[in-house]
Amino acid sequence: MDGSIEFTMGLSQGIAWPWPIAVYLFFAGISGGALSIALFIRFFKKQTTNTPFLKAACLTSLVTISLGMICLVFDLTNPLFFWRILVFYNLNSVMSVGVLALNAYIPLVALITLFAMEDEIKRIPALSFLLPIIEKLRCLRSPAEKAVLVLAMSVCAYTGFLISALIRFPIINTSVLPALFVASGLSAGAAVAKMVAVGVFKEELHSPDMKVLHGAEWPIMAAEILFIFMLAMSLFSGNAGMQSAFAAFHTGNWAGVFWIGVVGIGFVAPLLLNFATSKAFSHSAKALYMSGMCAVVGMMCLRLFILYAGQNFAV
Amino acid sequence: MSENLERRRFLKCLGASSLIIAPLGCSSVKEEESSNKPHYVMVFDQNKCIGCGDCKDACNKTNNLPEGKSRLLLEQQSGGVAGEICPHCGKTECDCERKYVRVSCQQCKNAPCVTVCPTGAAHRDEKTGIVTMDASKCAGCKYCIGACPYDARFINKETDVADNCDFCLNTKLSKGELPACVESCRHDALIFGDANDPTSYVSKLLRVKDSVRMKPGFGTEPSLRYIPIVKVGV
Ligand code: SF4
Ligand code: SF4
Repeated sequence: MDGSIEFTMGLSQGIAWPWPIAVYLFFAGISGGALSIALFIRFFKKQTTNTPFLKAACLTSLVTISLGMICLVFDLTNPLFFWRILVFYNLNSVMSVGVLALNAYIPLVALITLFAMEDEIKRIPALSFLLPIIEKLRCLRSPAEKAVLVLAMSVCAYTGFLISALIRFPIINTSVLPALFVASGLSAGAAVAKMVAVGVFKEELHSPDMKVLHGAEWPIMAAEILFIFMLAMSLFSGNAGMQSAFAAFHTGNWAGVFWIGVVGIGFVAPLLLNFATSKAFSHSAKALYMSGMCAVVGMMCLRLFILYAGQNFAV
Repeated sequence: MSENLERRRFLKCLGASSLIIAPLGCSSVKEEESSNKPHYVMVFDQNKCIGCGDCKDACNKTNNLPEGKSRLLLEQQSGGVAGEICPHCGKTECDCERKYVRVSCQQCKNAPCVTVCPTGAAHRDEKTGIVTMDASKCAGCKYCIGACPYDARFINKETDVADNCDFCLNTKLSKGELPACVESCRHDALIFGDANDPTSYVSKLLRVKDSVRMKPGFGTEPSLRYIPIVKVGV
């Protein structure tokens, strides 16, 4: 007898999580991704100096996670209730666990940014009050960096786990989502940090760090494409609800966002910029900025697509 | 003095370690159902509902909801209401049988809204097992709204926090009264009671009548039961 009666209305009237959440997922992904890559390179190559890329990644990470928190708070029905999330915890809730991680992550990112930017801080007299603090906490640098590496990866993954717990939406309720968000966070985070490193901290275009990054970029992008393909295939071959959600990929406005934004701008454009142009151009700063922007736009489109198409195709 | 200090340190350690250990315990405990606890259920009999909306109005009044809001909706599935298109056949005038479905919180035994709520505002009442809200804890993050597979939660515009049907737990049940909608239904389309009590009317009803649950595939084990109109050849 089950299934002989149904209802299709709802009480929430529309999308529970609108675009500020997509922007938050985007910023958190960039923040975690940029730092993970930078710290990974730092540990891997046993660097001890403050490289331009590390500075850029720290700064990017601190700024983006702060902007992300602003989005998060302003998406609450009443931003003044924010303190409640910080006071009450439910450890069964992914969000609550994420808040715990962010509580540790944000101050630690601020701390390692202080260390990484020491030279810059010295040059600005107004910030000199920070110097004794840096001096005092210097012994914490190495453990803080290790902790941040773990936390940065967790923050990236947590944004995926956060929304994949919504069982009503087949596109969102998938187990590859956290992996997809980690991969796309890494690639967009690296892209932003790279642009900041070259633009602000005068990193050379072909420094050893940049070479490593270039090498890492393509495998990460390949992983991203693979995860998106896995997600689409699992919907395509899944149960009736999943199959109807597959329509998100070929009907409606969000399909446009997916094909133009995620696939076109996010994947095809950087590939063309790098492999279909002359060597002189593809190795120029212009090409770096262009493909960097493409990665960022592609990632934002991916978050928007997942969140909106996901919520529109409920079962 | 030194004894005092020792005790303080001991208490501190105790506090700290319980902070670490308690969550481990909590997260692995499954919601258990003990047989002497009530399991409140509501049965909606589609054969009897005429879509008058008295239940909605009663809910709104009892629970002090903003103008025109209530914790339940009636979805008209077929049948002519003058001037409106029949959702079943698409005509304005038709002979389809009138069918309504009550849309509200299904009071899941395994409730996703409770699991995801970061603050514990959406919680299960200890005594009755009813899923209800602690409005003073809700941060308005809307996680529960996305997580509820029945789209049965909403933000109360007046309080800015999430809301759901809790069988009038605080407004009626606590006084020993029936939920407002049940009380107000003149056609006996709503039946409410404790399914764990074999002598209650609901238990007897559920024993003799075929009833179904909404979207059982989600595995949330709703406590709302529906007796559908089953007729061949409509
Ligand atoms: S129907 Fe929705 S709001 Fe009600 S208990 Fe289930 S998940 Fe929670
Ligand atoms: S909106 Fe309120 S009740 Fe719902 S999950 Fe967030 S804090 Fe919990």
